[in-house]
This record gives sequence, C-alpha cells and structure tokens, in this order.
Amino acid sequence: MIPPLEERLRRILDERYHHRHPFNVRLHGGRCTQDEVRRWIRNRYYYQTRIPLKDGLILTKSEDREFRRGWIRRIHDHDGDEARTGGLELWLRLAEAAGLERAEVASLRNVLPGVRRACDAYVEFVASHDLLESVASSLTELAAGPFLGERAEAFRKHYGWIEEAGLAYFLSRTSQAPLDAAEGLAYVLAHAKTAEDQARSEAALLRKCEILWALLDGVEWGGRVPRLAPAALLREEDGETVVVLPERAVRISASGREILAACDGARSVEAVAGAVRARHSEGASVERDVYEFVERMEGLGVLQLRAGS
Amino acid sequence: MKEKVRPLVKERVWNLVAELTYRCPLRCPYCSNPTALRDFPELLTAADWARVFREAAALGAVHVGLTGGEPTTRRDLAEIVVSAAAAGLYTHLVTAGLPIDAAGLAELARAGLRSVQLSVQDAEAAGSDAIAGTACFERKLAFGREVRALGLPLTLNVVLHRRNLGRVRELIELARALDADRLELANAQYQGWALANRAALLPAREQLEAAARVVVEERARAARPELLFVLPDYFRDRPKPCMGGWARTHLVVTPDGRALPCHGAAELPLAFWNVREHALAECWRDAPGMNAFRGEAWMQEPCRSCPERARDFGGCRCQAFALTGDAAATDPACALSPRHALVAAAHAEPKLEGWRYRAPA
Repeated sequence: MIPPLEERLRRILDERYHHRHPFNVRLHGGRCTQDEVRRWIRNRYYYQTRIPLKDGLILTKSEDREFRRGWIRRIHDHDGDEARTGGLELWLRLAEAAGLERAEVASLRNVLPGVRRACDAYVEFVASHDLLESVASSLTELAAGPFLGERAEAFRKHYGWIEEAGLAYFLSRTSQAPLDAAEGLAYVLAHAKTAEDQARSEAALLRKCEILWALLDGVEWGGRVPRLAPAALLREEDGETVVVLPERAVRISASGREILAACDGARSVEAVAGAVRARHSEGASVERDVYEFVERMEGLGVLQLRAGS
Repeated sequence: MKEKVRPLVKERVWNLVAELTYRCPLRCPYCSNPTALRDFPELLTAADWARVFREAAALGAVHVGLTGGEPTTRRDLAEIVVSAAAAGLYTHLVTAGLPIDAAGLAELARAGLRSVQLSVQDAEAAGSDAIAGTACFERKLAFGREVRALGLPLTLNVVLHRRNLGRVRELIELARALDADRLELANAQYQGWALANRAALLPAREQLEAAARVVVEERARAARPELLFVLPDYFRDRPKPCMGGWARTHLVVTPDGRALPCHGAAELPLAFWNVREHALAECWRDAPGMNAFRGEAWMQEPCRSCPERARDFGGCRCQAFALTGDAAATDPACALSPRHALVAAAHAEPKLEGWRYRAPA
C-alpha cells in the first residue's frame, strides 16, 4: 500500500532536508567557528536574493488570479513594502550584527562557486518546470518553521557575539514559513491527482533538498585548505608556469601563479582570496576569479584541498 | 585576472611516449603494440634514450611516459629514469607491476621516478589472470601498495570490454583500497590486437550505459580516486579527437627508434624516420608520415567542410585505415562517415567466447 502523497513528501524532508547536513549539525550544535558562521551568513545571502526571482517566475506560470494574489505575498515578504521590513534587509542586518560589512555581503563578490551554482540551479529549475513542480519544490518550507525556531535558539545560545537584533530574520520566517508551506501543500495535494503528477511533485521536492544540501557543501568548501599537489612539478618558461602532473600538464599565467603561491597549505580558500585581494586594488571580481581558479586547479589535481581546522 | 589557465592547444611536443621495449610477461588480447611484433627489435640503448630525452625536452616536452611492452623488463631502466629526470622531464612509469619488485621500485624512485600507472585486467584474480594470460593479479596489487608506501602518485588503469564492464564498481573499490589517485576506466580501442579480438571484447550498449551510471554515482560518493571514463567512439555519433590531432602534442618513440605521432601509426603505410638516423626535431618536423595528416588539407568530404573538424580532426587515422583501407578517410566511428555502416556491422557481429592472446610475449 503506497502511503498518501503528503506522507511521502514529509518523509523526503525527514530524510533529505539540510537539517541533516554535517555543516548544519555543527552550526546548530555551536561547533562552528566565528569565520564559519560568517561564511555561512555571507553565502546564504545569495540564496535569499534568488527567492524573489524564482517566486516571480512562479507567478508567470499561473492563469489563476487567486493563486497569484496569494503567491505574490512571498515577494513582499522578501523585498519588503511600506509596512514591513523585508527578509533581504533583515538578512543584511544579521550580517552586520555578525560583524560583516553590509556592502561586501550585498555585492555578492565573496559568494563561493558551489553556493552560486546551487542557488542558480534552483532558479533554473523553476524556470524550466511547470507550476506543479515549481510549487512542490517550495515545500521545503514544511520543514523550515520548526527548523528556524531551533536555529534562533542555537544562535542565542552558542553565538552570543551576534546581537539579538540580528536574529529578526529567523523570527519573522518562523511565522511566515508555516503559512507559505500550508498554501503550497494545499496546492500540490489539490493538483497532483495522477500517479505521474505525484511522482513529479516528489521528484521536485527531492531536487530542492539536493540543492539546499549542495549549498552547504559549497559553504564548507570555502573553509578547505588548498596546497599544491605533492606530485606536481612546476616549470617556469616564457613568463608562464607549467604545472606537470602524472599524465597532465597545465599552463598557468602570472596571475594564476600568484594565486597558487597564496595556497600555502595554511590558508583556507576564503583566506587565499583575501590575501590576493589585499594585493590588488582593482575591481570587484578578484575573489570570484580566485574561487573559480582554485576550483579548476582542484579539478585538474594541481591543488589538493583538505578539511579546514 | 582572466585566462589564468590555458589548455594544451599550443602545438608542440608536450608529451613523449617512450616505448622502451615490446617484451611483456602478459599476453592481453587488446595489447596496443603492433600485431607483427617480431619485425621490431629493441635497438635503442640507454645512451640513445638519454639523447632522445634531451632532444624531446628541447622541443618543449615536459612529460615522459616510460612504457612498452613492459618497461621493467629492461635491466637498465633506472639508468633510463635518471637521464629522463636529468633532461627535466616528469617521469611517469606505465607498468603491469611485474617483473619489477619492491627493491626495483625503490631504486627507480631514487633515480627520479615521479609517478606510476599500474594496469590490472579485472577486479578479481580469476578474470584478471585470464585476460593477462598469466597468474599475476596478487603480485600487481602488492606492487600497487609499494607505490603508495613510497608516497608516489598511483594511477590504476583497466581496459574495459564486455567481460569486465559489469565489475566497474568493484574496480573502483579496488582502486580505493589501493589508495590510487586516479582510475582510468579505459574502454578498449579496436585497433591492432583488440581489432583482431573485437568479437570477444566489444560490449553491448546496455553494459556501457550501466557502467557509466556507476561512475556517476561513485564520483558523487567520494572525491578519490579521480575517475576517468569516456564513452567509446563505437557507441557515439562523433569520432574521438585522437591524440588531440595528428602530430600536434604527442610524440611516440618505439623500441627500434621510429618516431611516431601515436603508437598505432606504425601500422599505416607511411614513412616515419628513426632517431638512430635523424635528430628528433627532424623526425618530428620533417618526416613525411608526420606531415601526412597535419592541418586540414588532407581531409576528404564530409570532414573537409564539417564545422567539427577543428575539434575532432576527422577522428582516428589508424581506425580509418584499419576499417576502410584508406587512412585519409573520415573515421567510420563518425555518423557522418559514408562508411559508418562498418561500425553498425561490428555491433551485429556474432559474439565470440574465446580470444587470441598477443604473441609472442
């Protein structure tokens, strides 16, 4: 006997929602360092900025005036209106309360590539799937209500260096998320009548769980510590460096060489970006270039990344 | 900050493949050595190789694969490694893991060896030894452990065919157990010995697709080892960009001193020069065989006007010759080739249980 759809959806959340991700377990357990909490806040802001975009896409998929009137509230919740401060602003206040610079966070220049990919994948998923699947993918909200209450408590208890005023985002979402979730669930249960539609709804929710999971993987990556692979041989020739590895050679320009030099086996990926930035006064893309470079070098085996301390 | 990494498109000898000998204690039925092994004696001495390494480095080579046959059958291998390292080349040994032993490996490491590729033929002894034609599986594993114990990077290489494609997960587990850095799941290329044994080796499409799914799952499960798996050209509509283009970045020198653009080119009716008679730079630049398929002027239709020609170079010249008799033909693996039916016919061939071992060893 197949359990009813709601039960199947809730089981997916129980098993695959990011409350089980190792980073989140450490975050709520008070075992994250100040740098890690800040990295999470800085990167998660990118996710917040994608939410109104995907909700805008969902609005375009419905011919139903009632549906749109309900759903547009989510955009106001995040962007704010005359009466209320929106979720994006509240997140920037959280960032400030945690000692980050508002402008730096808002610039998105330190968003890690895995985080960027995960968040962009969510917007792309909604853009390329129908209304039912898009709404189903938002049902992670079903797990978010109690989860965010727990998060606010954990921050008060373990990260007292963040002022209470900074926690307003979590508190606002603890009341908004259950309402959003109830509406979304009602829509999916009412419209997923065939076995095929139900399977599509489940797959959409699973995909969303994978995206949130990948986001935290991306946050953890920023704390890893890169070093040159012990097997690598560096050769200097004609103003560029050739890194030779077993069965592979990679040509690297002077600016890439500078990044490699900053990968000293002690700095995290994020600290490498900071060190390179400190030596450049140029435009805002330095960090993003460093992250993409480190990622490519990791993929080619030029750099090895170990877990941060 | 742009363009920090450039691919190896710059045309120059980047990689030297030094075939030190065709002798081998194994008899694998897909060996990439020539099918007429008797015709090519081992003539280059360690002193000859030292000169080849210096000349290759002067041409821009940064990496040498010391291969064969089985390179560790040469008693002067340590001397050869010393001269390759002295020439500034990254020294990479491609071996079956025998007859070399732990002491021999330690000697090579002292001589300047930087990394090792070890072949196994399957994930378990019976299947591996059956393909190798000799009992050697346990000895290979012991050798692999010695490589890692010395701190050298280890690549495990397995040629895949229909008898072992079902054990890709076990092969990945074996590579993990050996703490290998890379696992090359190398689908058999149907030339030379492998072409002669194609009816015994060619897999079914479903086998390949199942193996590809396992690779995707295992890549997601762990970062190590790096998994290399490419769907073979017999199962795609496009040919492989063989060697990154004819005589562009790779140079092979055979045990008797011929300089070739790839190990298979020995079977083509082309004139290549010998390093015992010419400087390596001349062999690379001027030999008629080397220039036979450089650039695009040699191409026939449909390659000549195809937008893909700069990417796949018309496919593999050796495969074109082996299947059509014309080395300048479009690779029949390409769906646009007028001879593509040859590949479909290969899939329709009755499968054979037995194979012919490489001979002589």
